[in-house]
Amino acid sequence: MNRYWFCLSGLLLAVLLFGCAGKSSSDSNEMVLYTAHGAKIHGLDPGDIGDQTSAAYASQIYETLYDYHYLKRPYELIPQLAAEMPLISQDGLTYTIHLRNDVYFQPDKCFGKNQKRRLTAHDFVYAWKRIADIKYISKNWWVFDGRIKGLDEFREYTKTVQKGQTVDYNLPVEGLHTPDDFTLVIRLKQPWPQIIYMLAHLPTAPMAKEAVEYYGRDIINHPVGTGPYMLGRWHRGSFIELVRNPNWRGQLYPSEGEPNDFPDGFLADAGRAVPFADRLISVLIEEDPPSWFLFLQGKIDASGIPKDNFSQAIDQRRQLTDDMKRRGIRLYTFRDPSTYWIGFNMEDPVLANNKPLRKAISYAVDRDKYIELFTNNRGETAYGIIPPLMKDYDPNISKIGAHYDVARARQYAEEAKKLNGGVMPKLKFAMPGTDVVFRQRGDFLIKCFRDAGLNIEIDYMDWPTFLDKIKTKSAQMFGLGWVADIPDSENFLQLFYSRNISPGPNNFNYSSPEFDKIYEQLRVMQDCPERTELYRKAERIVIEDAPAVFILHGVAYILTHDWLYNYKPHAFAYGLSKYRRVDTEKREKYRKRFKDF
Amino acid sequence: MLSYIIRRLLYTIPIVFGVMLLTFVLFNVVGGDVSDQIAGRAASAETIAEIRAEYGWDKPLFFNSEDFFDTQFFNHLKNTATFNFGRSWADRERVIDKIKRGAGYSLALTVPMFFISLAISVCISLVVAFFRGTWFDTAVMLLCVAGMSIPYLSFILFGQYFLGFKWGLFPVYFWPDHFPVQYYLLPVLVGVVSGLGGEVRFYRTVMLDEMRSDYVRTAFAKGLGTASVLFKHVLKNAMIPIITQVVLAIPFLFLGSLLLERFFGIPGLGYLFIGAIGSRDYQIVGAITYIGAILYVIFDLLTDICYSLVDPRITFD
Repeated sequence: MNRYWFCLSGLLLAVLLFGCAGKSSSDSNEMVLYTAHGAKIHGLDPGDIGDQTSAAYASQIYETLYDYHYLKRPYELIPQLAAEMPLISQDGLTYTIHLRNDVYFQPDKCFGKNQKRRLTAHDFVYAWKRIADIKYISKNWWVFDGRIKGLDEFREYTKTVQKGQTVDYNLPVEGLHTPDDFTLVIRLKQPWPQIIYMLAHLPTAPMAKEAVEYYGRDIINHPVGTGPYMLGRWHRGSFIELVRNPNWRGQLYPSEGEPNDFPDGFLADAGRAVPFADRLISVLIEEDPPSWFLFLQGKIDASGIPKDNFSQAIDQRRQLTDDMKRRGIRLYTFRDPSTYWIGFNMEDPVLANNKPLRKAISYAVDRDKYIELFTNNRGETAYGIIPPLMKDYDPNISKIGAHYDVARARQYAEEAKKLNGGVMPKLKFAMPGTDVVFRQRGDFLIKCFRDAGLNIEIDYMDWPTFLDKIKTKSAQMFGLGWVADIPDSENFLQLFYSRNISPGPNNFNYSSPEFDKIYEQLRVMQDCPERTELYRKAERIVIEDAPAVFILHGVAYILTHDWLYNYKPHAFAYGLSKYRRVDTEKREKYRKRFKDF
Repeated sequence: MLSYIIRRLLYTIPIVFGVMLLTFVLFNVVGGDVSDQIAGRAASAETIAEIRAEYGWDKPLFFNSEDFFDTQFFNHLKNTATFNFGRSWADRERVIDKIKRGAGYSLALTVPMFFISLAISVCISLVVAFFRGTWFDTAVMLLCVAGMSIPYLSFILFGQYFLGFKWGLFPVYFWPDHFPVQYYLLPVLVGVVSGLGGEVRFYRTVMLDEMRSDYVRTAFAKGLGTASVLFKHVLKNAMIPIITQVVLAIPFLFLGSLLLERFFGIPGLGYLFIGAIGSRDYQIVGAITYIGAILYVIFDLLTDICYSLVDPRITFD
């Protein structure tokens, strides 16, 4: 019997010790950056990335033609893989881009042994054709849809390719021309001023054909990029580790920035070679309590503030609490390029034909209270779609947009009743969540609606069901938001363009010939004061038609420990880990002193 | 016995078919179309159509007049029978690879948790049954009921806050670059303590039935020591319900612990399963449900076989 127990104990121990394949590797001299991510990384293939978490890690591995200057504001683009800013033809239809000739892909077995593979213009053409290939089912076709000469035709061709046959990527595309290995010429169907931002957007990163062919569909797990880091270990659903790319060409930390960057310490490393950190480790933590505990223990270098721990970190004056200051924690707040709203389905007969009803709902919602209750005041009241961070933001928007006014809401509700010819039918609001926070939000909104004499019920559902309802135009009202990919307000206005109605991004199914006319005009204009005026005019048309109740624009609060340097928040760029530096000794001291806190 | 096993194995065929049918109906018919979700918010109708073709969701569900075998259900039968669960639509990784990887982590958590919990609860229940009706029995039962009444999540948060964060006795969360065994200590402890209440009550009832038997009185009358009576005689005779409980729990060990894995960052099957439910990744949910059902059928058969090993009165003829 003892022998059996011995064997069983041995087995248990073996399961405990070896049940998980974890390589233990740590060197006290190396600089490791520790972070956490609150959502799963779906994949590291830039052509198919559609979520922020995946983009945040893929951006350390892949690079784009252009990148945002790390320190300068307003946001400014600088060449990254390109040798210089593009040469743009007079008519704005041809972009000639010269590439750097010192860029190499990371070492990978797909290139053969000891072979350094240089980046060429063909890698961009291949990557973009791949996104156009319908068989690849990219989430990012919207980037190129209807923009580049011949690319839509290439997509049409891929539709004709039968299952089992391969798509011929050698077929020429008129608008993607490579006169030599380091020159890329893009010919557009019509002017597209936002292309410059798209060339800094991750989906446009180059791909090595050899890597895609070698790994096939598993390329999603085997990123092969040109960036400062490459994939070390990735345990899906647990953690990801990135290590330095030995083939990276190198770069210096910027020497210029905003006036406050020097006193704030963001220029202390000016002119030093980046990346500073040898490894980046990020752990998946989907629940708030462990994430917060690990941050306070000093295991994680930077963190957001969970809703339930907000008062522990931030006091009434919106400053760090004494406890946080004692721990040497720093606070960074910055505006998000985001807007959140209650949307109306403009194809719903009740809502579409009753503007007073939509206005009544708009005036019924107490936005300030909502922001206080559900975001710990981490938001600004929204009056329109364009957030204050964007340079086209209308400073007079608060005088135009709807705001909380119960008396006015009741007045509009009466008008709506008359227009309807009697009592309004009960409306349904699709809420994209079923947990307690969503139910609290629902209760709050119901109270607002009831105060204004409106009869609206909340339909709670999970995110996939919600998405399905939006795509199939079967939701009457819905709560949703948008975070801009690029610093151009067109990114917000496209949400109301009639050619983008569901399943496209115009989930309001809003259609206004007047808006469309202005949108079509502004989308091809280069940045100028006239375009800003058109943006504001288009926004006012939307506000007047009220296809949405604009609720808030986000404000982010980030905490970092004082051993983490160069943490300047950026609203659009992701590949910023190369600039971060850690004082590892200070971190060790904190961890040892942790119990004193 | 061999004929019994063969007969039982034949019975499993309609059960497995039923499981396949049920998982298909649940996830492919009732669950609805997830192609919109795969395509993302800005997708066009043609991309959605391509996704449907890629996953075979454009085929008829059960009947195809042109090609009898070219249906979603037949493909589902073929794939699940060969353990070819395809790729997760969320990240396009092979589902079987996810399951293989997660099983080790889940077992590393649930196996020690299960055996420690079993050993402790059986021992406590024997002692409590021996002292039945005394203040000690009442106190332990009170604690058991209290333990059963406290939500599982409270045990987790208490353990994580006090034992992990505040007192620093255990790591709060799974962390790479460190020896994995220490990250299992706290979740195992939480799992064991939170489960003790129900298990002690169950085994106490089993032990009480045995304690009232004549052979126990005889053993004591013959002058055998308490420990000897309890652990040699009572425990052995109480093995049938214990085996039923133990063997049928084994398939669930493979499936891991949903909350413990999520809160302690253990990348096991429980975590995978709960994430897949949340994101409607039916490829994963269906695969884990199917494997769980198969394991249950197998261990149900093993339970019956084990009865004959511990109780010579049971035969299969």
